[in-house]
Amino acid sequence: MASREIIVPGNDKLNVSRNFNLPHSPGIRAGDFIFLSGMLSTDPQTGERSPGTMAHETRQTLTNMRHLLESAGSSLERVVKINVLIYDMLEFENMNAVYRQFFPKDPPARTTCGVQLSAGMKIEIECIALA
Amino acid sequence: MKIERIVVPPPCPGLDMAAGYGWVQSSAIRAGAYLFVSGVLPIDPQTGERLQGTLTSEAHRAFQNLKLVLESAGSSLERLAQVRAMIYDRIEYDALNRVYRQYVPSGPPARTVWSVRIMDAFKVQLDAIAVI
Repeated sequence: MASREIIVPGNDKLNVSRNFNLPHSPGIRAGDFIFLSGMLSTDPQTGERSPGTMAHETRQTLTNMRHLLESAGSSLERVVKINVLIYDMLEFENMNAVYRQFFPKDPPARTTCGVQLSAGMKIEIECIALA
Repeated sequence: MKIERIVVPPPCPGLDMAAGYGWVQSSAIRAGAYLFVSGVLPIDPQTGERLQGTLTSEAHRAFQNLKLVLESAGSSLERLAQVRAMIYDRIEYDALNRVYRQYVPSGPPARTVWSVRIMDAFKVQLDAIAVI
């Protein structure tokens, strides 16, 4: 049987599900794959939500995602699929421009859609990566 | 041994969203037995032109494009595992299903339908995971 284990960020402040008492894990490693929960922009110093411009939230969320993946022995280069949820499709280019800096080569498959997000945040990102 | 992460090139020039639209995404990524496909839209596979129309016409085009991506990677519509079918308005749910069942007539994949805003005011987007 394949393993199933919970993965957590090295930085405790970024363990949002525990700090906000939410019923999900930061991520699950299942066999060769890692499944991450949807991530919002969080300040790595305080653990508080870090709302701002689409560029800011995208940068902070992907920075935190990189940290979580690396805490689990994976990396952004090992991401196979990303789902990007944004509050308004008019901001797509603002997201895409910052996103490009994190995936300069062979980017993952990606699906973007516009939805209403928690707490007025502008972007939420979830992914599947190789362990 | 670590599974290799393989970038699947777009099956046709029009479906190269990175080159044509500047979107930072690969057409699909193969990892082991699985194929992860970027959201597929109703775009002309040769020219890349957006083919906005009715939900029915957009769903047909999106499914045909998904078929192209899957088959170019050695998979097929019959090998789909999970689909997120995104539509612009729940009121078109039945219209989606009418087209949808033509492309997966037997043993259809697991599916969730999301009513969301889609790029460029498209009415349909298909997000898929398949096995090779």
